[in-house]
Amino acid sequence: MIQLDKVSKTYWMSKENAIHAVLETTLEINRGEFLIITGRSGSGKTTLLNLIAGLTRPSSGRVLLEGQNMWSLTDLQQSQLRNRKIGFIFQFPSLLPSLTALENVLLPTIFSIDHVKEAGNPRARELMEKVGLIDKLNAYPRQLSAGQQQRVVVARALLNQPELLLADEPTSDLDEQTETEIMEMFRQVHLDSGITIVLVTHSTQLVSYGTRSIHMAGGLIEN
Amino acid sequence: MAICAFLVAGFAIAIMLILRGTENSLRLANDRLGADIIVVPEGTTTKVETALLMGNPTEVWMPESNLAKIAAIPGVAAATPQLYLSTLNNASCCSVASMFLVAYDPETDFAIEPWLESTIGRGLSLGEAVGGTYVFVPEGEQNIKIYGYFVTLKANIEPTGTGLDQSMFLTFETAKDIARLSPELALQPLIIPEDSISSVLVRLAPGVDPMSISAEIIRQVPGVTPITSPNMFQAYRQQMNGLLASILLVLGITLVLSGLMIGLVFSMAANERRRELGVLRAMGATRNFVLRSLLLEASILALEGGLAGITFTVLVIFLFRNLIMRSFGFPFLLPDPGLLLIEISVGLLLALVCVTLAAMIPAYRISHMEPALAMRE
Repeated sequence: MIQLDKVSKTYWMSKENAIHAVLETTLEINRGEFLIITGRSGSGKTTLLNLIAGLTRPSSGRVLLEGQNMWSLTDLQQSQLRNRKIGFIFQFPSLLPSLTALENVLLPTIFSIDHVKEAGNPRARELMEKVGLIDKLNAYPRQLSAGQQQRVVVARALLNQPELLLADEPTSDLDEQTETEIMEMFRQVHLDSGITIVLVTHSTQLVSYGTRSIHMAGGLIEN
Repeated sequence: MAICAFLVAGFAIAIMLILRGTENSLRLANDRLGADIIVVPEGTTTKVETALLMGNPTEVWMPESNLAKIAAIPGVAAATPQLYLSTLNNASCCSVASMFLVAYDPETDFAIEPWLESTIGRGLSLGEAVGGTYVFVPEGEQNIKIYGYFVTLKANIEPTGTGLDQSMFLTFETAKDIARLSPELALQPLIIPEDSISSVLVRLAPGVDPMSISAEIIRQVPGVTPITSPNMFQAYRQQMNGLLASILLVLGITLVLSGLMIGLVFSMAANERRRELGVLRAMGATRNFVLRSLLLEASILALEGGLAGITFTVLVIFLFRNLIMRSFGFPFLLPDPGLLLIEISVGLLLALVCVTLAAMIPAYRISHMEPALAMRE
């Protein structure tokens, strides 16, 4: 499903000072996989996830999603592809504070085609029920705990029935019990829908949730 | 950002209102005088214009015989004399403050009499007067007392925004009666020099060139200055043009500074929401969507600020128009609602364009940023 072919990403801080976040990385992720990428902070795992998502342009190499080079597409095509095929869960709180939980879940439908828009509301409610927050539809993010907010983010990521779910440290700010709940939810989503999941974490304890894991250090995949 | 829009729109509407109001006022004053040429004693042009525009009383004199000479010039259809007088300031014999009085000759007048005919159906009799908009009978009294003489106010002329609004019009007969009785009734007498008049209003025959008649007046009547209608209040117009140049310079500087300020503030505000915008891009928002959203937000703020600025400015100008008129030494009349609406729209448009242009660069920069970079701390 995803192929990374000798992909590198370099951030130039100044003319002389460059940070090589990802180096010559080649990776293939198959449809239906639950890949867990581990690594310490600064190992390049988030950059790798952003490269997979097409959120950052590789300095060299190619990223192919279903055989298509993301960066050969126009901005509109890239945006539509992200909207229809990819769900994102970020490390930081990414709910819009001025919207209710339900409105936040429905947010991706703004950029969707009409029939997806129409189906959005019942599906959003169904997902909120799945993540156990059907009674919090009208709650604002500030009225939800960190764990509840992350569940809303998961529901939002799944709204457009994506083929690929990308999660960047989704449990880093959560306590142990909530972390377990969220990871169980990922496992359940994977089992139920067969969706491809790529999850980035610094915690090696979470690798057991995935079907495969890789470890990154210094911008390179180690195993 | 809204404050910048407030300033831009407020400033723009203030300039438009004051300039347009002044121009409007000058035009109306010209129309009210109803003459193609006003002939005044030589060297008194500014004094007479100031009296007519600002209502500052003045007394200027020339021989009455000038009237016949002017009336005899071929091309002059009508000529009528006027006397410019004033009341006494803060005197117990006058129930009004210092006021500009214009006495006219009902026999030859073509400026005030027609208006009187259409308003009260007849001319003024002895002891009667008409006043500008702001002339009124003092509370508790029946008449206006001038030099101890009781004058009946018969009507008020519609506003012109000039000194005519604070002036009073009466006939030669009434003026001379006041002058006759004033030594007995007033602290000081009203003096009208024998065989003297202050000005001659001239109406030309159709198709006659005012400039050639002016030249003829200068040639045939020594000691006078003819002011043609288009050149009336020329000193004020020149002063206004000078003021306009300065105001436009200040407006230009304000626009540039506001633009820079808006760009900076917008850049900071959008930067704070970079992560939010990055999340939207990750969810499928195109660069154009983000750009349009940011510009729409800027436009809404511009409209809000602009409307507030315009409302505030119009209110201030409306409430303090007389104070502004006196402070700047310019006549002023609020434009009619239709024109006011156009000026408000122009002010809003200016605020909108200024804010949108200033927000364009930061909005473009942020919307074209890589989503991953936008989401980074």
